[in-house]
Amino acid sequence: MADLKELSEAVINGKMPKAEELTRKALDEGVEAVTIVNEGLIPGMLVVGEKFKNNEFYVPEVLIAARAMKAAMAIVQPLLSETDLQPIATVVIGTVRGDLHDIGKNLVAMMLEGAGFKIVDLGVDVPPETFIQAVQDNNADVVAMSALLTTTMPAMADTIEAIKESGLRDKLKIIVGGAPVTQDYADEIGADGYAPDAGSAVDMLKSLVAPPCCA
Amino acid sequence: MTDRERWVRTMHFQSVDHVPDEEFGYWDDTLRAWHQQGLPTWVTDNAKADRFFGFARRETLPLHLGLLPPFETQILEETDKYRIVVDGNGVKSVVHKDGRSSIPHYLEFPLKTRADWEEFKARLDPHNPRRQPANWEELKARYAQRDYPLGVPCGSLFGWIRNWMGFEGVALTCALEPDWIHEMVEYLADFVLTVIDRAVRELDLDFAAFWEDMCFNKGPIISPAMFKEFLVPRYQRITDFLKQHGVDVVYVDCDGNINQLVPLWLEGGVNCMFPLEVRGGSDPWPIREKYGQEVLLMGGVDKTKLAAGREAIRAELKRLEKLVEMGGYIPHLDHRCPPDVSYENYRYYLRLKREMFGIPEPLPYEERVAMKQA
Repeated sequence: MADLKELSEAVINGKMPKAEELTRKALDEGVEAVTIVNEGLIPGMLVVGEKFKNNEFYVPEVLIAARAMKAAMAIVQPLLSETDLQPIATVVIGTVRGDLHDIGKNLVAMMLEGAGFKIVDLGVDVPPETFIQAVQDNNADVVAMSALLTTTMPAMADTIEAIKESGLRDKLKIIVGGAPVTQDYADEIGADGYAPDAGSAVDMLKSLVAPPCCA
Repeated sequence: MTDRERWVRTMHFQSVDHVPDEEFGYWDDTLRAWHQQGLPTWVTDNAKADRFFGFARRETLPLHLGLLPPFETQILEETDKYRIVVDGNGVKSVVHKDGRSSIPHYLEFPLKTRADWEEFKARLDPHNPRRQPANWEELKARYAQRDYPLGVPCGSLFGWIRNWMGFEGVALTCALEPDWIHEMVEYLADFVLTVIDRAVRELDLDFAAFWEDMCFNKGPIISPAMFKEFLVPRYQRITDFLKQHGVDVVYVDCDGNINQLVPLWLEGGVNCMFPLEVRGGSDPWPIREKYGQEVLLMGGVDKTKLAAGREAIRAELKRLEKLVEMGGYIPHLDHRCPPDVSYENYRYYLRLKREMFGIPEPLPYEERVAMKQA
Protein backbone atom coordinates (compact mmCIF):
# COMPACT_ATOMS: atom_id res chain seq x y z
CA MET A 1 0.00 0.00 0.00
CA ALA A 2 1.20 3.50 -0.86
CA ASP A 3 3.11 5.10 1.97
CA LEU A 4 2.94 8.88 1.64
CA LYS A 5 5.05 9.27 4.76
CA GLU A 6 7.80 7.35 2.99
CA LEU A 7 7.35 9.71 0.03
CA SER A 8 7.81 12.69 2.37
CA GLU A 9 10.96 11.07 3.71
CA ALA A 10 12.28 10.58 0.18
CA VAL A 11 11.75 14.30 -0.49
CA ILE A 12 13.34 15.31 2.81
CA ASN A 13 16.38 13.17 2.08
CA GLY A 14 16.62 14.32 -1.53
CA LYS A 15 16.17 10.81 -2.92
CA MET A 16 14.86 11.66 -6.37
CA PRO A 17 14.54 8.16 -7.89
CA LYS A 18 12.84 6.94 -4.70
CA ALA A 19 10.41 9.89 -4.73
CA GLU A 20 9.56 9.16 -8.36
CA GLU A 21 9.12 5.45 -7.67
CA LEU A 22 6.86 6.04 -4.66
CA THR A 23 4.80 8.60 -6.57
CA ARG A 24 4.20 6.18 -9.45
CA LYS A 25 3.40 3.40 -7.02
CA ALA A 26 0.86 5.56 -5.22
CA LEU A 27 -0.82 6.49 -8.51
CA ASP A 28 -0.89 2.83 -9.58
CA GLU A 29 -2.61 2.01 -6.33
CA GLY A 30 -5.27 4.59 -7.03
CA VAL A 31 -4.17 7.37 -4.69
CA GLU A 32 -5.35 10.68 -6.13
CA ALA A 33 -2.70 13.05 -7.43
CA VAL A 34 -3.88 15.83 -5.15
CA THR A 35 -3.49 13.56 -2.12
CA ILE A 36 0.05 12.69 -3.15
CA VAL A 37 0.89 16.39 -3.31
CA ASN A 38 -0.87 17.43 -0.13
CA GLU A 39 0.03 14.46 2.03
CA GLY A 40 3.40 13.44 0.59
CA LEU A 41 5.28 16.14 -1.24
CA ILE A 42 4.30 19.36 0.54
CA PRO A 43 4.75 17.95 4.07
CA GLY A 44 8.21 16.78 3.01
CA MET A 45 9.24 20.22 1.78
CA LEU A 46 7.82 21.84 4.91
CA VAL A 47 10.18 19.71 6.99
CA VAL A 48 13.04 20.76 4.69
CA GLY A 49 12.16 24.44 5.25
CA GLU A 50 12.05 23.92 9.00
CA LYS A 51 15.40 22.13 9.00
CA PHE A 52 16.92 24.91 6.88
CA LYS A 53 15.62 27.50 9.31
CA ASN A 54 17.18 25.60 12.22
CA ASN A 55 20.57 25.08 10.53
CA GLU A 56 20.03 21.33 10.31
CA PHE A 57 19.94 21.58 6.52
CA TYR A 58 22.08 23.79 4.28
CA VAL A 59 21.81 24.70 0.61
CA PRO A 60 22.93 21.31 -0.80
CA GLU A 61 20.28 19.43 1.20
CA VAL A 62 17.60 21.96 0.21
CA LEU A 63 18.49 21.73 -3.47
CA ILE A 64 18.39 17.96 -3.63
CA ALA A 65 15.08 17.92 -1.75
CA ALA A 66 13.59 20.46 -4.17
CA ARG A 67 14.90 18.38 -7.06
CA ALA A 68 13.18 15.26 -5.68
CA MET A 69 9.94 17.18 -5.18
CA LYS A 70 10.04 18.62 -8.69
CA ALA A 71 10.63 15.20 -10.23
CA ALA A 72 7.65 13.78 -8.34
CA MET A 73 5.53 16.82 -9.21
CA ALA A 74 6.30 16.32 -12.89
CA ILE A 75 4.62 12.89 -12.63
CA VAL A 76 1.47 14.08 -10.89
CA GLN A 77 1.11 17.49 -12.55
CA PRO A 78 -0.66 16.24 -15.73
CA LEU A 79 -3.23 14.51 -13.54
CA LEU A 80 -4.12 17.58 -11.49
CA SER A 81 -7.03 19.75 -12.49
CA GLU A 82 -7.00 23.46 -11.71
CA THR A 83 -9.43 22.99 -8.87
CA ASP A 84 -7.45 20.11 -7.41
CA LEU A 85 -4.60 22.18 -6.21
CA GLN A 86 -5.48 25.60 -4.92
CA PRO A 87 -2.25 27.40 -3.99
CA ILE A 88 -2.14 29.05 -0.59
CA ALA A 89 -1.52 32.28 -2.48
CA THR A 90 0.10 33.53 -5.68
CA VAL A 91 3.43 35.22 -5.08
CA VAL A 92 5.14 37.51 -7.56
CA ILE A 93 8.81 37.46 -6.61
CA GLY A 94 11.88 39.26 -7.90
CA THR A 95 15.14 41.00 -7.10
CA VAL A 96 14.55 44.73 -7.30
CA ARG A 97 15.68 47.19 -9.96
CA GLY A 98 19.43 47.66 -10.16
CA ASP A 99 20.25 44.44 -8.32
CA LEU A 100 21.35 41.29 -10.14
CA HIS A 101 21.69 38.90 -7.20
CA ASP A 102 19.36 35.94 -7.26
CA ILE A 103 20.60 33.25 -4.89
CA GLY A 104 18.55 34.35 -1.88
CA LYS A 105 15.52 35.09 -4.01
CA ASN A 106 15.72 31.64 -5.63
CA LEU A 107 15.92 29.93 -2.24
CA VAL A 108 12.84 31.79 -1.01
CA ALA A 109 10.95 30.94 -4.21
CA MET A 110 11.91 27.29 -3.84
CA MET A 111 10.77 27.13 -0.21
CA LEU A 112 7.48 28.92 -0.89
CA GLU A 113 6.72 26.71 -3.88
CA GLY A 114 7.47 23.62 -1.84
CA ALA A 115 5.09 24.85 0.86
CA GLY A 116 2.20 25.19 -1.59
CA PHE A 117 2.43 28.77 -2.88
CA LYS A 118 2.22 29.53 -6.60
CA ILE A 119 5.36 31.37 -7.67
CA VAL A 120 5.70 33.86 -10.50
CA ASP A 121 9.43 34.50 -10.64
CA LEU A 122 10.33 37.73 -12.41
CA GLY A 123 14.08 37.19 -12.08
CA VAL A 124 16.52 39.98 -11.27
CA ASP A 125 16.74 43.74 -11.89
CA VAL A 126 12.95 44.01 -11.82
CA PRO A 127 11.53 47.55 -12.17
CA PRO A 128 8.38 48.56 -10.23
CA GLU A 129 6.20 48.56 -13.34
CA THR A 130 7.08 44.92 -14.04
CA PHE A 131 6.04 43.91 -10.51
CA ILE A 132 2.73 45.75 -11.01
CA GLN A 133 2.11 44.22 -14.42
CA ALA A 134 2.82 40.73 -13.06
CA VAL A 135 0.44 41.27 -10.12
CA GLN A 136 -2.31 42.26 -12.56
CA ASP A 137 -1.59 39.47 -15.06
CA ASN A 138 -1.54 36.76 -12.40
CA ASN A 139 -4.07 38.17 -9.97
CA ALA A 140 -1.35 37.83 -7.37
CA ASP A 141 -1.83 38.07 -3.62
CA VAL A 142 1.76 38.75 -2.61
CA VAL A 143 4.76 40.71 -3.86
CA ALA A 144 8.09 39.42 -2.55
CA MET A 145 11.16 41.60 -3.11
CA SER A 146 14.81 40.84 -2.57
CA ALA A 147 17.88 43.12 -2.46
CA LEU A 148 21.47 42.28 -1.58
CA LEU A 149 22.91 45.76 -1.73
CA THR A 150 22.37 48.78 0.48
CA THR A 151 22.36 50.82 -2.72
CA THR A 152 19.45 48.88 -4.21
CA MET A 153 17.32 48.70 -1.06
CA PRO A 154 15.65 52.03 -1.91
CA ALA A 155 14.20 50.34 -5.00
CA MET A 156 12.02 48.34 -2.57
CA ALA A 157 10.52 51.59 -1.27
CA ASP A 158 10.09 52.85 -4.86
CA THR A 159 8.25 49.67 -5.80
CA ILE A 160 5.92 49.94 -2.81
CA GLU A 161 5.19 53.56 -3.74
CA ALA A 162 4.44 52.55 -7.32
CA ILE A 163 2.15 49.76 -6.10
CA LYS A 164 0.29 52.31 -3.94
CA GLU A 165 -0.07 54.66 -6.90
CA SER A 166 -1.41 51.82 -9.04
CA GLY A 167 -4.23 51.27 -6.54
CA LEU A 168 -3.17 47.66 -5.87
CA ARG A 169 -1.68 48.10 -2.40
CA ASP A 170 -4.79 47.15 -0.41
CA LYS A 171 -5.24 43.80 -2.12
CA LEU A 172 -1.61 42.77 -1.70
CA LYS A 173 0.77 41.63 0.97
CA ILE A 174 4.29 42.85 0.41
CA ILE A 175 7.28 41.05 1.89
CA VAL A 176 10.96 41.92 1.69
CA GLY A 177 14.29 40.25 2.41
CA GLY A 178 17.99 40.20 1.63
CA ALA A 179 21.26 40.54 3.50
CA PRO A 180 21.12 44.27 4.34
CA VAL A 181 17.35 44.37 4.92
CA THR A 182 16.05 44.49 8.50
CA GLN A 183 12.66 44.44 10.20
CA ASP A 184 13.11 48.15 10.92
CA TYR A 185 13.71 48.88 7.25
CA ALA A 186 10.71 46.78 6.27
CA ASP A 187 8.57 48.78 8.71
CA GLU A 188 10.01 52.07 7.51
CA ILE A 189 9.09 51.45 3.85
CA GLY A 190 5.67 50.04 4.70
CA ALA A 191 6.20 46.37 3.88
CA ASP A 192 3.89 43.85 5.55
CA GLY A 193 6.57 41.33 6.36
CA TYR A 194 10.27 40.60 6.60
CA ALA A 195 12.08 37.31 7.09
CA PRO A 196 15.77 36.83 7.78
CA ASP A 197 16.01 33.61 5.78
CA ALA A 198 14.18 31.43 3.28
CA GLY A 199 12.87 28.97 5.87
CA SER A 200 11.38 31.71 8.02
CA ALA A 201 9.81 33.32 4.94
CA VAL A 202 7.36 30.42 4.65
CA ASP A 203 6.09 30.78 8.21
CA MET A 204 5.94 34.55 7.96
CA LEU A 205 4.00 34.54 4.71
CA LYS A 206 1.63 31.84 5.90
CA SER A 207 0.78 33.97 8.91
CA LEU A 208 0.20 36.97 6.65
CA VAL A 209 -2.10 35.30 4.14
CA ALA A 210 -3.95 32.90 6.42
CA PRO A 211 -7.62 33.69 6.90
CA PRO A 212 -8.31 35.72 10.10
CA CYS A 213 -9.76 32.69 11.85
CA CYS A 214 -6.58 30.69 11.45
CA ALA A 215 -3.79 33.24 11.62
CA MET B 1 58.19 51.45 13.85
CA THR B 2 57.96 50.36 10.21
CA ASP B 3 54.72 49.28 8.54
CA ARG B 4 56.01 45.72 8.69
CA GLU B 5 56.92 45.77 12.38
CA ARG B 6 53.61 47.41 13.25
CA TRP B 7 51.56 44.89 11.26
CA VAL B 8 53.40 41.83 12.57
CA ARG B 9 53.32 43.05 16.18
CA THR B 10 49.60 43.87 15.92
CA MET B 11 48.90 40.37 14.64
CA HIS B 12 50.82 38.90 17.60
CA PHE B 13 49.07 40.97 20.26
CA GLN B 14 52.26 42.91 20.98
CA SER B 15 52.42 46.62 21.79
CA VAL B 16 52.45 49.03 18.85
CA ASP B 17 52.60 52.81 18.40
CA HIS B 18 49.25 52.58 16.62
CA VAL B 19 47.17 50.09 14.68
CA PRO B 20 48.00 49.69 10.92
CA ASP B 21 46.22 52.23 8.74
CA GLU B 22 44.43 50.02 6.20
CA GLU B 23 41.17 50.07 4.28
CA PHE B 24 39.42 47.48 2.10
CA GLY B 25 38.67 49.51 -1.05
CA TYR B 26 35.81 50.98 -3.07
CA TRP B 27 33.28 50.10 -5.73
CA ASP B 28 34.10 51.64 -9.13
CA ASP B 29 30.76 53.46 -8.86
CA THR B 30 31.89 54.99 -5.56
CA LEU B 31 35.05 56.50 -7.00
CA ARG B 32 33.06 57.81 -10.00
CA ALA B 33 30.51 59.41 -7.67
CA TRP B 34 33.26 60.91 -5.51
CA HIS B 35 34.86 62.52 -8.58
CA GLN B 36 31.81 64.81 -8.56
CA GLN B 37 32.31 65.44 -4.83
CA GLY B 38 35.97 66.46 -4.76
CA LEU B 39 38.06 63.31 -5.20
CA PRO B 40 40.76 63.95 -7.85
CA THR B 41 39.70 62.36 -11.15
CA TRP B 42 43.00 60.46 -11.49
CA VAL B 43 41.95 58.26 -8.55
CA THR B 44 40.20 55.61 -10.61
CA ASP B 45 41.03 52.36 -8.83
CA ASN B 46 41.78 50.93 -5.41
CA ALA B 47 45.57 51.06 -5.75
CA LYS B 48 45.46 54.75 -6.67
CA ALA B 49 42.99 55.42 -3.85
CA ASP B 50 45.33 53.71 -1.36
CA ARG B 51 48.12 56.04 -2.46
CA PHE B 52 45.91 59.11 -2.41
CA PHE B 53 44.55 58.46 1.08
CA GLY B 54 48.02 57.50 2.33
CA PHE B 55 47.32 54.03 3.74
CA ALA B 56 50.02 51.74 5.04
CA ARG B 57 51.73 49.55 2.49
CA ARG B 58 51.06 45.81 2.47
CA GLU B 59 51.70 43.52 -0.47
CA THR B 60 50.95 40.03 -1.67
CA LEU B 61 53.41 38.11 -3.85
CA PRO B 62 52.74 38.15 -7.60
CA LEU B 63 52.15 34.40 -8.01
CA HIS B 64 49.67 33.37 -10.71
CA LEU B 65 47.07 31.00 -9.24
CA GLY B 66 44.45 31.41 -11.96
CA LEU B 67 43.57 29.35 -15.03
CA LEU B 68 46.45 29.18 -17.52
CA PRO B 69 45.59 29.67 -20.22
CA PRO B 70 42.38 31.41 -19.25
CA PHE B 71 39.26 30.78 -21.33
CA GLU B 72 39.00 33.01 -24.36
CA THR B 73 37.00 36.11 -23.42
CA GLN B 74 34.12 36.70 -25.79
CA ILE B 75 31.27 39.14 -26.28
CA LEU B 76 28.37 36.97 -27.42
CA GLU B 77 25.75 39.69 -27.63
CA GLU B 78 25.74 43.45 -27.18
CA THR B 79 22.92 45.96 -26.89
CA ASP B 80 22.95 49.59 -25.78
CA LYS B 81 22.11 48.39 -22.25
CA TYR B 82 24.16 45.23 -21.68
CA ARG B 83 26.69 42.73 -22.97
CA ILE B 84 26.52 38.96 -22.72
CA VAL B 85 30.10 37.86 -22.20
CA VAL B 86 32.22 34.80 -21.52
CA ASP B 87 35.02 35.68 -19.10
CA GLY B 88 38.45 34.16 -18.49
CA ASN B 89 36.92 31.59 -16.11
CA GLY B 90 34.61 30.44 -18.93
CA VAL B 91 31.55 31.88 -17.17
CA LYS B 92 28.78 33.32 -19.32
CA SER B 93 27.08 36.35 -17.79
CA VAL B 94 25.15 39.54 -18.44
CA VAL B 95 27.11 42.70 -17.72
CA HIS B 96 25.19 45.99 -17.64
CA LYS B 97 26.71 49.04 -19.26
CA ASP B 98 25.24 51.65 -16.95
CA GLY B 99 28.05 51.53 -14.45
CA ARG B 100 26.41 49.17 -11.97
CA SER B 101 29.37 47.34 -10.56
CA SER B 102 27.48 44.69 -8.68
CA ILE B 103 28.10 40.98 -9.26
CA PRO B 104 27.11 40.17 -12.87
CA HIS B 105 24.08 38.05 -13.61
CA TYR B 106 25.45 34.60 -14.33
CA LEU B 107 23.90 32.56 -17.14
CA GLU B 108 26.08 29.47 -17.50
CA PHE B 109 29.08 27.91 -15.81
CA PRO B 110 31.80 25.89 -17.54
CA LEU B 111 32.42 23.13 -14.99
CA LYS B 112 29.57 20.64 -15.23
CA THR B 113 31.08 17.19 -15.69
CA ARG B 114 34.17 15.22 -14.80
CA ALA B 115 35.28 15.64 -18.44
CA ASP B 116 35.13 19.43 -17.93
CA TRP B 117 37.23 18.98 -14.80
CA GLU B 118 39.94 17.27 -16.83
CA GLU B 119 40.06 20.39 -19.01
CA PHE B 120 40.28 22.57 -15.90
CA LYS B 121 43.12 20.47 -14.55
CA ALA B 122 45.04 21.13 -17.77
CA ARG B 123 44.60 24.85 -17.07
CA LEU B 124 45.72 24.32 -13.48
CA ASP B 125 49.20 22.98 -14.11
CA PRO B 126 51.13 24.14 -11.03
CA HIS B 127 54.44 23.81 -12.86
CA ASN B 128 53.56 26.28 -15.62
CA PRO B 129 56.47 28.75 -15.44
CA ARG B 130 54.09 31.67 -15.96
CA ARG B 131 52.84 31.11 -12.42
CA GLN B 132 56.14 32.42 -11.01
CA PRO B 133 57.56 35.94 -11.36
CA ALA B 134 60.20 36.05 -14.12
CA ASN B 135 62.51 38.29 -12.04
CA TRP B 136 62.54 36.07 -8.96
CA GLU B 137 66.09 36.72 -7.76
CA GLU B 138 65.66 40.47 -8.18
CA LEU B 139 62.36 40.37 -6.28
CA LYS B 140 63.90 38.27 -3.52
CA ALA B 141 66.66 40.82 -3.02
CA ARG B 142 64.14 43.66 -2.96
CA TYR B 143 61.83 41.83 -0.52
CA ALA B 144 64.77 41.18 1.81
CA GLN B 145 65.08 44.94 2.25
CA ARG B 146 61.39 45.65 2.69
CA ASP B 147 59.81 47.58 5.55
CA TYR B 148 56.23 46.52 4.80
CA PRO B 149 54.34 43.24 5.38
CA LEU B 150 54.45 40.72 2.54
CA GLY B 151 52.20 37.71 2.12
CA VAL B 152 51.71 34.71 -0.09
CA PRO B 153 48.41 34.15 -1.92
CA CYS B 154 46.90 30.70 -1.33
CA GLY B 155 43.84 31.08 -3.54
CA SER B 156 40.77 29.14 -2.62
CA LEU B 157 39.69 25.56 -2.04
CA PHE B 158 35.92 25.99 -2.36
CA GLY B 159 35.45 29.47 -3.88
CA TRP B 160 37.23 28.54 -7.09
CA ILE B 161 34.99 25.52 -7.60
CA ARG B 162 31.93 27.69 -6.81
CA ASN B 163 33.11 30.21 -9.43
CA TRP B 164 33.49 27.50 -12.06
CA MET B 165 30.34 25.49 -11.22
CA GLY B 166 28.02 28.17 -9.91
CA PHE B 167 26.33 28.30 -6.53
CA GLU B 168 23.72 25.65 -7.31
CA GLY B 169 26.17 23.48 -9.23
CA VAL B 170 28.67 23.21 -6.41
CA ALA B 171 25.94 22.75 -3.79
CA LEU B 172 24.36 19.90 -5.73
CA THR B 173 27.73 18.29 -6.38
CA CYS B 174 28.57 18.39 -2.67
CA ALA B 175 25.36 16.46 -1.98
CA LEU B 176 25.34 14.08 -4.95
CA GLU B 177 29.00 13.53 -5.88
CA PRO B 178 31.07 14.01 -2.71
CA ASP B 179 33.91 11.88 -4.12
CA TRP B 180 34.32 14.34 -6.96
CA ILE B 181 34.39 17.28 -4.54
CA HIS B 182 37.09 15.46 -2.54
CA GLU B 183 39.06 14.90 -5.74
CA MET B 184 38.83 18.55 -6.81
CA VAL B 185 39.69 20.02 -3.41
CA GLU B 186 42.61 17.62 -3.04
CA TYR B 187 43.90 18.63 -6.46
CA LEU B 188 43.57 22.32 -5.60
CA ALA B 189 45.43 21.85 -2.30
CA ASP B 190 48.29 20.13 -4.12
CA PHE B 191 48.20 22.84 -6.77
CA VAL B 192 48.46 25.65 -4.17
CA LEU B 193 51.22 23.87 -2.26
CA THR B 194 53.27 23.45 -5.43
CA VAL B 195 52.83 27.02 -6.66
CA ILE B 196 53.71 28.62 -3.30
CA ASP B 197 56.51 26.18 -2.43
CA ARG B 198 59.55 28.20 -3.55
CA ALA B 199 58.28 31.51 -2.20
CA VAL B 200 57.46 30.07 1.22
CA ARG B 201 60.83 28.32 1.49
CA GLU B 202 62.96 31.21 0.23
CA LEU B 203 61.26 34.31 1.66
CA ASP B 204 60.62 35.55 5.15
CA LEU B 205 56.87 36.08 4.76
CA ASP B 206 54.45 37.76 7.16
CA PHE B 207 51.11 36.26 6.18
CA ALA B 208 49.22 33.97 3.83
CA ALA B 209 45.90 34.81 2.19
CA PHE B 210 43.00 32.56 1.23
CA TRP B 211 39.64 33.68 -0.13
CA GLU B 212 36.43 31.69 -0.11
CA ASP B 213 33.27 33.84 -0.13
CA MET B 214 31.14 30.84 0.75
CA CYS B 215 28.68 32.37 3.22
CA PHE B 216 25.53 34.41 2.96
CA ASN B 217 23.64 36.25 5.69
CA LYS B 218 22.29 33.04 7.25
CA GLY B 219 25.59 31.18 7.32
CA PRO B 220 27.68 28.97 5.08
CA ILE B 221 26.45 27.54 1.77
CA ILE B 222 27.44 24.04 2.87
CA SER B 223 27.05 22.55 6.32
CA PRO B 224 29.86 22.71 8.87
CA ALA B 225 29.96 18.90 8.62
CA MET B 226 30.64 19.06 4.87
CA PHE B 227 33.15 21.86 5.40
CA LYS B 228 34.99 19.73 7.94
CA GLU B 229 34.99 16.72 5.66
CA PHE B 230 35.94 18.40 2.39
CA LEU B 231 38.05 21.36 3.40
CA VAL B 232 39.59 21.21 6.88
CA PRO B 233 42.16 18.45 6.12
CA ARG B 234 43.31 20.34 3.01
CA TYR B 235 43.63 23.64 4.86
CA GLN B 236 45.65 21.78 7.47
CA ARG B 237 48.08 20.46 4.86
CA ILE B 238 48.69 23.95 3.51
CA THR B 239 48.85 25.75 6.85
CA ASP B 240 51.17 23.07 8.33
CA PHE B 241 53.60 23.80 5.49
CA LEU B 242 53.24 27.55 6.04
CA LYS B 243 53.85 27.23 9.78
CA GLN B 244 56.92 25.04 9.23
CA HIS B 245 58.33 28.05 7.41
CA GLY B 246 57.32 30.69 9.93
CA VAL B 247 54.10 31.95 8.36
CA ASP B 248 51.74 32.00 11.34
CA VAL B 249 49.17 34.58 10.21
CA VAL B 250 46.80 33.00 7.70
CA TYR B 251 43.72 34.95 6.75
CA VAL B 252 40.63 34.05 4.80
CA ASP B 253 38.52 36.55 2.90
CA CYS B 254 34.91 35.44 3.27
CA ASP B 255 31.89 37.72 3.08
CA GLY B 256 28.60 37.01 4.82
CA ASN B 257 27.92 35.26 8.10
CA ILE B 258 31.03 33.22 8.93
CA ASN B 259 30.25 32.39 12.56
CA GLN B 260 29.62 28.67 12.06
CA LEU B 261 32.86 28.29 10.10
CA VAL B 262 35.25 30.18 12.40
CA PRO B 263 36.04 27.16 14.64
CA LEU B 264 36.60 24.99 11.58
CA TRP B 265 38.92 27.49 9.94
CA LEU B 266 40.82 27.67 13.22
CA GLU B 267 41.01 23.87 13.23
CA GLY B 268 42.39 24.05 9.69
CA GLY B 269 45.08 26.52 10.76
CA VAL B 270 43.44 29.60 9.22
CA ASN B 271 43.56 32.05 12.11
CA CYS B 272 42.55 35.46 10.74
CA MET B 273 39.02 36.41 9.64
CA PHE B 274 38.40 39.12 7.05
CA PRO B 275 36.42 41.32 6.26
CA LEU B 276 33.80 40.59 9.00
CA GLU B 277 30.64 41.93 7.38
CA VAL B 278 28.66 43.22 10.32
CA ARG B 279 25.27 43.47 8.61
CA GLY B 280 25.97 40.07 7.06
CA GLY B 281 26.12 38.64 10.59
CA SER B 282 29.87 38.65 11.31
CA ASP B 283 30.55 41.03 14.16
CA PRO B 284 34.19 41.07 15.33
CA TRP B 285 33.24 41.46 19.01
CA PRO B 286 31.48 38.12 19.61
CA ILE B 287 34.16 36.34 17.61
CA ARG B 288 36.90 37.82 19.81
CA GLU B 289 34.90 37.09 22.96
CA LYS B 290 34.42 33.47 21.96
CA TYR B 291 37.89 32.63 20.64
CA GLY B 292 40.13 35.14 22.46
CA GLN B 293 43.66 35.45 21.11
CA GLU B 294 43.24 32.30 19.06
CA VAL B 295 41.66 34.44 16.36
CA LEU B 296 42.91 37.51 14.48
CA LEU B 297 40.53 39.99 12.90
CA MET B 298 40.58 42.45 10.00
CA GLY B 299 37.67 44.69 8.97
CA GLY B 300 34.51 44.76 11.04
CA VAL B 301 33.57 48.45 10.64
CA ASP B 302 29.94 48.44 9.48
CA LYS B 303 30.01 50.23 6.13
CA THR B 304 26.32 51.08 6.34
CA LYS B 305 27.11 53.45 9.23
CA LEU B 306 29.13 55.65 6.89
CA ALA B 307 26.02 56.41 4.85
CA ALA B 308 24.06 57.11 8.03
CA GLY B 309 26.11 60.18 9.02
CA ARG B 310 28.64 61.50 11.50
CA GLU B 311 26.94 60.41 14.68
CA ALA B 312 26.60 56.84 13.44
CA ILE B 313 30.22 56.81 12.27
CA ARG B 314 31.45 57.99 15.66
CA ALA B 315 29.32 55.43 17.50
CA GLU B 316 30.58 52.62 15.25
CA LEU B 317 34.23 53.49 15.81
CA LYS B 318 33.61 53.94 19.53
CA ARG B 319 32.09 50.45 19.59
CA LEU B 320 35.38 49.04 18.29
CA GLU B 321 37.78 51.13 20.38
CA LYS B 322 38.40 48.50 23.08
CA LEU B 323 38.80 45.78 20.48
CA VAL B 324 41.56 47.78 18.81
CA GLU B 325 43.25 48.21 22.20
CA MET B 326 43.22 44.43 22.73
CA GLY B 327 45.41 43.91 19.64
CA GLY B 328 45.17 41.24 17.00
CA TYR B 329 42.69 43.41 15.13
CA ILE B 330 43.01 45.84 12.22
CA PRO B 331 39.85 47.93 11.88
CA HIS B 332 38.58 48.95 8.46
CA LEU B 333 35.33 48.88 6.50
CA ASP B 334 33.71 45.47 6.35
CA HIS B 335 33.70 45.47 2.54
CA ARG B 336 34.36 47.86 -0.32
CA CYS B 337 32.87 51.27 0.33
CA PRO B 338 29.55 51.53 -1.56
CA PRO B 339 28.45 54.60 -3.55
CA ASP B 340 25.73 55.62 -1.09
CA VAL B 341 28.54 56.85 1.18
CA SER B 342 29.41 60.46 0.39
CA TYR B 343 33.02 61.52 -0.08
CA GLU B 344 32.58 63.93 2.82
CA ASN B 345 31.38 61.16 5.14
CA TYR B 346 34.22 58.90 4.07
CA ARG B 347 36.80 61.61 4.77
CA TYR B 348 35.18 62.25 8.14
CA TYR B 349 35.38 58.53 8.90
CA LEU B 350 39.07 58.39 8.01
CA ARG B 351 39.89 61.50 10.04
CA LEU B 352 38.00 60.24 13.06
CA LYS B 353 39.42 56.72 12.83
CA ARG B 354 42.95 58.08 12.71
CA GLU B 355 42.25 60.46 15.58
CA MET B 356 40.59 57.83 17.79
CA PHE B 357 43.19 55.12 17.17
CA GLY B 358 46.25 57.40 17.32
CA ILE B 359 47.12 56.95 13.65
CA PRO B 360 49.06 60.00 12.39
CA GLU B 361 47.18 61.88 9.67
CA PRO B 362 49.28 61.55 6.48
CA LEU B 363 50.41 64.71 4.75
CA PRO B 364 48.23 65.75 1.79
CA TYR B 365 48.98 63.59 -1.26
CA GLU B 366 50.67 66.40 -3.23
CA GLU B 367 53.07 67.12 -0.35
CA ARG B 368 53.94 63.44 -0.03
CA VAL B 369 54.71 63.25 -3.76
CA ALA B 370 56.79 66.44 -3.60
CA MET B 371 58.75 65.10 -0.63
CA LYS B 372 59.41 61.83 -2.44
CA GLN B 373 60.63 63.66 -5.53
CA ALA B 374 62.87 65.90 -3.45
